[in-house]
Amino acid sequence: MSVQKVGLTFGTSRGRPILNDVNFDVLEGEFLCIVGPSGCGKTTLLRLLAGLLQPTSGAIVFQGHRVSGPSRSRAIVFQDYPNALLPWRTVAGNVALSLEACGIARAQRGAAVDALLAKMGLQNAADQFPSQLSGGMQQRVQIARCLAQQPKIMLMDEPFGALDAITRQSLQDELLAIASERRMTVVFITHDLEEAIYLGDRVIVLGANPGHIVELVDVGLPRPRNQLTTREDFKFLSLRHRLFGMLQGH
Amino acid sequence: MKRLLSTSSIPSLAFAVALIAAWQFVAESRIVSPVFFPAPSLAFEVLGVRFADGSIWPSIGATSLRMLFGWAFASLLGVVVGAAIGSSAMARDYLEPTLEFLRPLPASAVIPVAILFLGLSNEMSISVIAFGAIWPVLLSSVYGFGSLQVRLREVSAALGLNRIEFLRKIAFPAALPDILSGVRVSLAICLILAVVTEMQASLPGLGRDIFLAQRNFRSADLYAGLIILGAIGFIANHVLLQIERRLLRWRHPNL
Amino acid sequence: MVQRFIRGIIVPALAIAVWEAASRTGILKLEFLSRPSDILAAGIDGLRDGSILLATAQTFEAAALGLAIAVVAGVLAGTILGLSRPIERTVGPTIEALRPIPAVAFIPLTLLLFGFGLPMEGTVVAYACVWPILIATVAAVRGIEPRLLEVAQALELSFAERMRKIILPAALGRINVGVRVAVGFALVVAVTVEIVVNPRGLGYSLIVAQQSLRIDLMYAQLLWLSILGYTVNALLRTVRTSEPDLQAGRAA
Repeated sequence: MSVQKVGLTFGTSRGRPILNDVNFDVLEGEFLCIVGPSGCGKTTLLRLLAGLLQPTSGAIVFQGHRVSGPSRSRAIVFQDYPNALLPWRTVAGNVALSLEACGIARAQRGAAVDALLAKMGLQNAADQFPSQLSGGMQQRVQIARCLAQQPKIMLMDEPFGALDAITRQSLQDELLAIASERRMTVVFITHDLEEAIYLGDRVIVLGANPGHIVELVDVGLPRPRNQLTTREDFKFLSLRHRLFGMLQGH
Repeated sequence: MKRLLSTSSIPSLAFAVALIAAWQFVAESRIVSPVFFPAPSLAFEVLGVRFADGSIWPSIGATSLRMLFGWAFASLLGVVVGAAIGSSAMARDYLEPTLEFLRPLPASAVIPVAILFLGLSNEMSISVIAFGAIWPVLLSSVYGFGSLQVRLREVSAALGLNRIEFLRKIAFPAALPDILSGVRVSLAICLILAVVTEMQASLPGLGRDIFLAQRNFRSADLYAGLIILGAIGFIANHVLLQIERRLLRWRHPNL
Repeated sequence: MVQRFIRGIIVPALAIAVWEAASRTGILKLEFLSRPSDILAAGIDGLRDGSILLATAQTFEAAALGLAIAVVAGVLAGTILGLSRPIERTVGPTIEALRPIPAVAFIPLTLLLFGFGLPMEGTVVAYACVWPILIATVAAVRGIEPRLLEVAQALELSFAERMRKIILPAALGRINVGVRVAVGFALVVAVTVEIVVNPRGLGYSLIVAQQSLRIDLMYAQLLWLSILGYTVNALLRTVRTSEPDLQAGRAA
């Protein structure tokens, strides 16, 4: 089953196109990163993939059907995690929300929640409220909640952008581990080129004004990735060199 | 309203006692006519007698029941209607101006209208109480449901929640802080309107008791009534505050 | 903007139109529900012969009196309580005990003390309005930059001078919030007192109209009261947006 997203999108806001003629496929099981400078429309693109926005031209096709609205099979991880978590529910309650939405009976929910919390290292925080957690922990909760949806694809909008460097790195590795274990398809938006190359199987560079694909490359680095060795790999550095100029140039 | 003023037992108790003692002294020395300023001891004596022979309970009961009945009805209606209006931008556009116009109308002003339709009856009293009490709840509910974070709406859509699930699991809990503060204000208004309608229509209750006491120049009874009313108001507000604190535990998880 | 305005008007306009039509065709019984056209006529008459305006002036007079007393007492007491924690701890509980007593419960007492008329109504209004002002003042004074208070001490200003030159200007913003709430109360409480006992003002005219079965006049006065309340609130809102935010700078 291949996941195709034929994107030929042309979104406008007061006549100015935000995205123009964007075409690419997302392959099943791949980790696709989209990089670009701020304002290039990458968040807009993600929202289109999610179904929160409709393109003014072209279409997004997911598993043979046109995307016309949000769906449980396309999980979204937002950048502003405080706003995406329910402040009145505990960590366990937030994760349980997805299970409730999927119609899982109460009896089975408890075990499923515990398993997910353990996977994300949240078992000790199960009864705490989001406001009591650090940024990294809150983002883990959001990811856990998305995993609980059993999605076919995870769409992540600069999820680690608001976190400090150390937390970011550990979350990157955790994400890679989960993605490979579940053979998850991930579309990951970031403005950080190194993060994109480190995480992705393929990287799309988006240019701005209007948003368009500048380059689409295969990363070609071996997995599992390692924060120290991979980032010093010759291939990593040359790819970074190559793409760096494209980011700056636009 | 938050309790801004802190408490600490001994000096405050001493102050209150001193105040009462000073009043007692002024009253007994007849500096002011005892008709207007009876000694506090007399007021407490009246209270004691009325509690002892049980005659106070019907009054307390009548006023409290009126207050609570009107409040419960108004709160329920206010939340439901507020939810409906608040969660629909279109409804808000059409209805908010009318609501804003009706809001400043003093609830007591509808008493003459209510008397016309319902006479000097219990029904009149409850209708006026409900009318006055619905506004704080309605408006705070409209606000609470209307100011729901966009992000939460998107999360709800992404999880595929239907409208009822959305209202129950997301919109309502998010609006709860506002709803509860509206409900608390509403209770205070209910007490006020209960007293007012009792005075107006001579319905059995604390309001009427105080009114009759004034007419018969029994000022000790008057002050006794005031004390009871203050106590009811204080207890009611306090109970609601505690309930609110428990329901909204997530706001102060570290306390 | 225009579209929103139209949308807001549609519902009441339609309601009034339906009401008028139903009254004219006899679907609605006339005794307790006058026609909008009659209400309008009664209102215009009432305005023209000055009766409504006189009543309005009386109500405003009482509200203003009560507000003035409440502001003076509330700001003074609030300042003292705000500046001195020990005093506030001593007096606090007594205040907490007095506050929940509904102001309208004092109607019989003030009637006993002052009889009918302006002083009695003003007193009840004052009692209702003093609390929001008191609380706002305490919060405002507590929020004053301590450095300013030290400066006042260093300059050895008297209490009156401290109030005038340092405390009040610094606390004005937040005190104003309390005053705004109090203004809302003042009108409502004044009308309430008039409805229950006091033979003056708009509340009293409402009762008179109801008792003499001048229903159209009664509704007209209700409408007038709504308009007044709405206007007062609107004015208060414009005052808020035009006053400088003295507290904002300190937050940074």
